[in-house]
Amino acid sequence: MTLDVLAFWVLAVVLVGSALAVVLSKNLFHAVLWLALALTGTAGIFLILEAEFLAAVQLLLYAGGIVTIMVFAIVVTERLVGESISQTNRRIAAGALVVAVLAGTIVTTIWRQPLTAAAAAQTGDVTRDIGQAVMTRYVLPFELLALLMLAGLMGAIYFARPDD
Amino acid sequence: MMDAGFLALAAPLLHVLAFLILAIVAPLRRLGRPAAYVSILCAAGALAAAFNAWRAHAGDQISRMVWTWLPEQGQSLATIGVLADADSTVMLTLVALVSLLVQVYSLGYLSEEPKRALGRYYAYQSLFAFSMMGLVIAPNLLQLFICWELVGLCSYLLIGFWYQKPAAARAALKAFWTTKAGDVGLLIGIILLYRQSGTFDLTELQVLVGSGALPLAGLSIITFCIYLGAVGKSAQFPLHVWLPDAMEGPTPVSALIHAATMVTAGVYLLMRTAWLFALTPDVLLIVAWIGALTALLAAIMACVQDDVKRVLAYSTVSQLGYMMTAIGAGFAGAGFFHLLTHGVFKALLFLGAGAMIHAVHSNNLSDMGRLARSMPQTAIVFIVGTLSLAGIPLFGGFLSKEEILGAVWEGGLVGPFFILMLVAFLTAFYMFRAVFLAFFGTAPSHAPSHAPHPAPSHPAPSHPHDPPASMSLPLWVLALLSVAIGVYFTFEHPEPEFVAPGWLMPAAVGVAAAGILLAWLTYQRRAISADALASIFSPLYRAALHKFWIDDFFEGVVARAALAFSRAIGWLDRYIVDGLLNAVSAWTLTAGDDLRGMQSGKAQDYVYGVAVGLLVLLLWTQFKG
Amino acid sequence: MPLEAYLTLAAIVFCIGMFGVITRRNTIGILLGIELMLNAVNINLVAFARYHGDVTGMVFTVFTICITVTEAALGLAIVILLFRIRRTVMADHLDLLKG
Repeated sequence: MTLDVLAFWVLAVVLVGSALAVVLSKNLFHAVLWLALALTGTAGIFLILEAEFLAAVQLLLYAGGIVTIMVFAIVVTERLVGESISQTNRRIAAGALVVAVLAGTIVTTIWRQPLTAAAAAQTGDVTRDIGQAVMTRYVLPFELLALLMLAGLMGAIYFARPDD
Repeated sequence: MMDAGFLALAAPLLHVLAFLILAIVAPLRRLGRPAAYVSILCAAGALAAAFNAWRAHAGDQISRMVWTWLPEQGQSLATIGVLADADSTVMLTLVALVSLLVQVYSLGYLSEEPKRALGRYYAYQSLFAFSMMGLVIAPNLLQLFICWELVGLCSYLLIGFWYQKPAAARAALKAFWTTKAGDVGLLIGIILLYRQSGTFDLTELQVLVGSGALPLAGLSIITFCIYLGAVGKSAQFPLHVWLPDAMEGPTPVSALIHAATMVTAGVYLLMRTAWLFALTPDVLLIVAWIGALTALLAAIMACVQDDVKRVLAYSTVSQLGYMMTAIGAGFAGAGFFHLLTHGVFKALLFLGAGAMIHAVHSNNLSDMGRLARSMPQTAIVFIVGTLSLAGIPLFGGFLSKEEILGAVWEGGLVGPFFILMLVAFLTAFYMFRAVFLAFFGTAPSHAPSHAPHPAPSHPAPSHPHDPPASMSLPLWVLALLSVAIGVYFTFEHPEPEFVAPGWLMPAAVGVAAAGILLAWLTYQRRAISADALASIFSPLYRAALHKFWIDDFFEGVVARAALAFSRAIGWLDRYIVDGLLNAVSAWTLTAGDDLRGMQSGKAQDYVYGVAVGLLVLLLWTQFKG
Repeated sequence: MPLEAYLTLAAIVFCIGMFGVITRRNTIGILLGIELMLNAVNINLVAFARYHGDVTGMVFTVFTICITVTEAALGLAIVILLFRIRRTVMADHLDLLKG
């Protein structure tokens, strides 16, 4: 077993395990922490796929930013553990069934498709290519994205204003 | 020949003209007596036309005129018109004569009726005469059936003329429905015959039968169904129950409809289609036996009646049975001959009874007595009629009754023959019982119990007297005609269809004389006590008083069966038909309620819905190919 | 590793995330599930980009991450506002759209 394959399997286990823990935890705070682990695992997957820039962005924004604001939100709403109420509603069995079948369908579809067998060798600097692509080919979406984030920022400030 | 056919057509057309005038021109109708004159004038014209038509068709002369009514691919499905031959024209003359005499008589009998009612009465009389004549001269079964139904309608209208009287209204309805039961059979028979032969026309059918081209399969059912129509109209057992009750109508109506014309329609029909019935001897046997049974039953019931009109009604039923028996024996000519003579003297008897009722203001024999002193003319004509009915030589019914007895004997129907002989005895007995009780014997011991008809603001009767001219003239005409017929046929024997055995005539006359003797001994001389006779035959006596419980049977069984059936259908409608609809609507409401649960308002549930939808789509695309 | 492996992994994580969205009662828990789903999408994009040699997928991923961050911030702001008004974050109680 090569290092590649081993790394993949380890990361896969970590990712799936922590994802399960996210959705099944009774304690919401624990769920957030498990999410952080899952996001970190994803960053690892990005590394295996030789997308270092993305791995860095993932860690910074996701595992750093989002988890932080989640924690803040939990603290503000003060509902960590449902006192004696279950964290999950009555749709567990049906939901699990639907989701399982869905997963099975997608997976079987994937394995039936004729996809690229082997990965081509990575040439050049991926990060640089990303930057170039963003600034040249995808500059319009980039600017729009900036606009979107500005709007989001303003919205967040509006939401967070004190009651008058 | 065209002219003679038109004569036969003119008779009913004159009557329908009178009806249309009276029906449409309401002011004329409401005037009363002028309306009566219009109707009588047309009736006189019709009699002239009918008589001339008869004269023109004596022998083998036949006129046939038809007009297409319902066309069908070049040919005609149904025609209307005239078929005039010796039989139909003589019947036409009888109908015209009795109609005219009855209409004249009604002027006197209904003189106290309100004007509007009188106009209505004459309109109905004209309509009836038209329908009966249309039936008589009908060239095909379809026209015959239409006129048949019209006649039934007019009977209903005329029986229920005094519709404010509940008994009259009920009697009219009873007559209508009882004859309707028979009419259904007639219609079925006509349709089946059409299917079998492809035509309604009587002449064509006769040709088919003569050439043997008519298939015999199922013919018995056809003739039996046609006979059912006659059972209803001609009051054969068991559909005879309407005729006695029909006496609720005015007496002239009874004379016209229930003696001479409508009830004879059944006999006439069988006579007209005798060549068809000749192919089905088993049905003819049924006709004969039921005829004999009816004659006997009615004669027994006539012996115990107190109401003079009811005696005459049962007598009519009995005589109709006589005619049917002759037809059943295969000699329709004898039956038809008796029909004609009976029409004359029965009408005479009814009109005479009308005079008696008009005089004492009561229908009951117990309220009459010694009338020969005060009403000699009426007594004479009534006794003439009674002698005719009893079959005494020199009077109207003598030869026709003998012919019937001879026909039944020649036809080999021994049982019916002896029944008819017994009935002859009973006929003489009960008719002379009525004569002795009403005209001779002792005066009534009490005042009349009830008036026979409502409305008259007549002062209390002082003493009975002979009727006015408008009533007595028709009486004398009929009486003289009856005697004339009797004398003519005593000396001018027509060509007989058969040769009767020599002992028949003395036997028949002897039996009648015996009946008269018994009546005289019982009711005039009081040598034999009527009560003793009643007690000897007490079970029969009681049964006769209860009309053999036939009416009760109909009421109980038929009415209850109909009600039970209605209730079952009602249950079916309420619980199954309605229930089904209610279930569907309830299901719709429930489905709506259940589907509402999908809109729970929770976003999570909608995501769930999306997930399920996505799954379904994926599965479908995967497994579609 | 073949491409299918990465795709399978992404599919599994996606479905786990969907399960969380469907079953979690706490609104923040639902948002956690959404994060997982978006994560899985990112893995898919990067895998395809790597195996086809096209950097477009990675650019797409950058954009997705930025949008996700915005969405998470706003979503949590809404949750906090809801909490202020209704004193609840249970998704079961937010059923004003009930028909």
